[in-house]
Order: sequence, then C-alpha cells, then structure tokens
Amino acid sequence: MLWRMASPLLLLVLAGALLLPFDLGLRLDNADSSATRGLNATLDRLPADPTVLVGFDPDLGTYAELRPTVRVLLADLLARGARLAFISLTSEGRALAIAEFDRLDRLEANPRQIVDLGFLPGAEAALVALARGLGPDPAQRTIGVLPEEAELPQLAMAVVIGGNDLGPRSWVEQVAPRTDGLEIVAVAPTVLLPELQPYLASGQLAALLATPRDGAAYRVSVELGPLERMVEPAPPPTLAILLGLVAAVAVLGQAVAARLAIAVRAARSREAS
Amino acid sequence: MNGLFGAEPADVAATWVAAIVTLVVLGALVGERRVFGWSQHLLAGLATGFLALLAITEVIVPRLLEQLATDPAGRADLWLGVALVGVTAAAPWVPRAVAAVPLSIAIGALAAFALGGAVVGTLLPQLAASVARPEPTVVATLAGAAAAAISGLVLIGFVHGAPRGRILATAASSGRWLMLAGLGGWLGYLLFSRLLLLVDRLAFLVGDWLGLVP
Repeated sequence: MLWRMASPLLLLVLAGALLLPFDLGLRLDNADSSATRGLNATLDRLPADPTVLVGFDPDLGTYAELRPTVRVLLADLLARGARLAFISLTSEGRALAIAEFDRLDRLEANPRQIVDLGFLPGAEAALVALARGLGPDPAQRTIGVLPEEAELPQLAMAVVIGGNDLGPRSWVEQVAPRTDGLEIVAVAPTVLLPELQPYLASGQLAALLATPRDGAAYRVSVELGPLERMVEPAPPPTLAILLGLVAAVAVLGQAVAARLAIAVRAARSREAS
Repeated sequence: MNGLFGAEPADVAATWVAAIVTLVVLGALVGERRVFGWSQHLLAGLATGFLALLAITEVIVPRLLEQLATDPAGRADLWLGVALVGVTAAAPWVPRAVAAVPLSIAIGALAAFALGGAVVGTLLPQLAASVARPEPTVVATLAGAAAAAISGLVLIGFVHGAPRGRILATAASSGRWLMLAGLGGWLGYLLFSRLLLLVDRLAFLVGDWLGLVP
C-alpha cells in the first residue's frame, strides 16, 4: 500500500517544492567553472560577425535539461554578432528547432542572424555530405544538401545540441575529419557526459556543457545586454531536483537493502541447516 | 516555463492540450494506464505523421521534384532517387528482391559511414589519447595512467573463451567490474536526466498552466 502511494506522493512533494518561495540556498551555478571557461575561451576566439553552424538535434526526453543553457548560448552568439545557421538531422531535433524558431521570432531576434537550413535526411551519410558541402571549394558542394539560398561563408564554429542519435559524437566522427580545423562545441544532456568527456579530453571537442551545473555556471557568466529577454525567467528548481534525487537514492537503497536482507536470510538458513 | 507558447488564444489552447497530455502521462504513475496507452499511440501517430510531413515538404518536394522540374534532363541522379522512392513506397506490391534495394542501400551506407567514422573519429584518436604520457602536473599524469590502465583492463574483460592464466583471469574480472561500475554511473546520469524532465513537466503544470509560480 505504501509502495503504491509512493509515486503520487513523490509528485506531490516535488510540486510542493516548486511552490516554495525559497530554495534553501541551493545553487547549481557554484560548480567547477572549467567547462564555462573552456566555452567562453572558444567563443572569444570567434572572428567578427562569424557564421556558426548549429546542429540542432536534442531529443524530447532530455531537452528540458538543456533548454535554459541552449537559449542562453544562442543569445550569447547572437549578442556576439554571429549568424546562426540551423540544421537538424533528426525529426525530433527538427520539431524542437521549429519551436525555438517560433520563440526567437516572438522575442524579435534579428532575422538576418538566423538561417534555417532545415532537415537533412540520411543520418551518418548526410553528415558526410554536409561536411563535404561545407568545404572551401564550392565545386565540392554536395548538390541538394543545402538550399541554394543558404550559401554559407567560411564557418567559424559548429555548435551541436545533442541528445538524439546524431549528436556530438557523430559530428566528431563524420564532420571534424572532413573539415579542416572546424571547432565543435557541444551542449548535451548529463546522460551523454560519459560518452563525450573523452572527446573533450582529447581535444576533439573544443568545449562541452553536459551537466546542469555546467550549464548554470555558464548562464551566470554571460552578459547579454538587450538580449537578456531570451533567457528563461525562472532558474531550474534546485530544491525539487534535490528532493527527487533523495527519493531516487532512497529507492536504490531500498533495493540494495532488500537484496542484502535476502542474502542474510539465506546465510542464516544455511547455518541453521 | 518552457517559453514555447505565447499569449495568443492558440497558444493558450496549446498550453491546455500540453497540460492535459502531461497529466495523462503522469496518470500512469497512479495506475491509470489505459489513457496513458492511448497517449502512447497518439505520440507514435504524431511522430510518424511529422516524419512523413518532413519527408515530403523538406526533402522529396524541394530537393527532388522541384529540381527535376527545373532541369529534368540534367539531373540523371535524381531520377534514380525518384525510382528508389517509388520502390520504397510500393514495397508491399513489388518482388521482395526489388523492395530490398533501397533498404539495403540505406543500411549499407549507414553501416559503412558509421564504421569508418568510428575508426577515424573515435577509435584512433581515443587510443592515442589513452596512452599514458607525462603531463604538466603529477595528478594529470596519474589520471592519464589510470585511464590507460582501466582501458586495458576493460578491453581484457572482453576476452572470452581464450585460455587464460590466473593473472589474465584476474585482469578480465577486474575489467568487467570496472565496466559494470561505469554502466552504473551511466545509469545514474540517465536517472538524473529523467528526473530533470519530471521536474520540468511539473514546473510546466504548476507555472505555465496553473500560474502558481510567477
């Protein structure tokens, strides 16, 4: 009975924590700021009025985690005068990109700074074609990969919003070897951190934000000026997150304790016999 | 909270629809699974419909049909594309050997590019990076050596069926335990990501929908 009530009780506790006007001083942004320093250093190396290719392929299940950071990063790039060329290789990423375009339009982002390259089908092969199309020689442009009206000047950087099958790892594997010196910056959900950390360590990724704490540390480091309106007004609810983690640890502990109890009972019965 | 909806009547309606569907999904946690099952069908249907829409409006029409209409004689490769689309669409009615052609091309290309990319982009650079070498600090050097040792142990853990001595068997066992620890850590990250999604959905209900959070 108690177990059946656990789920709705957890929902009520989390919802109640969201309503509290305080967060007990819990902060996400006091993390190790090395990821933020790495990202800011990469962004500072951008030339004037750069063109940045944004590979927008988050997934619906993890975009909630990335959303505040992605929006600040896009606003940061716009504030630096960057022209953002969005491309999606998955249908989920395309759906989320369309929603973000709508939001940017509502927030009156400069339309000349935003280029929609649309949906590119073909998975890994499409990334290969895209990388060839981005080369310096226009004759090598793969016909049909990019719309003709979306001629891109030399790209300064690629930002990959990950979460889906074709994320930062695919860009490192398929695009980086075919584009000489194109720096790749990734924003990815926590679940991809173990997969992407080695690429950051080996220098294949120029910068990586892959935890809510890294994202929060980056968000507070950015001065957006008039583009501050693009930032989500409410920060992630830290108290609710902490309570959820406590609940998760309790469930895990209960499972471990149950296994231990079974093992102890089995040992005792062996001793008794 | 998610900022995807504005204040127009259509946006308000969208917020209500999103809130109701969110409640339906959360309802599965309290035992209401029938409506939750319908919502899964709805999601599958919408995803399929959206993918079909994308394929037609962003791929087949602008990158195939429009270009063929502009220059039908100059783009022989696109006619091949039309033929492949036609065969895919008619798969239930054409011989299996013919229907398998577009699928074979897709799977073959996917495997070839994925494998090649994995070798060039991941395997070789990561092998090079996992070689322990002197680093600027002692801690970094030790971390590099530990990474190399763990990589080696986990690789040995994948050795199955070969005759082993005691040392190799111990190393393989250690490698498997290290891999299990890694998987455990990864599951922890996965749980954290899903927890954030749950909290975000509740924040959407409490904030965007009910307006209880400013």
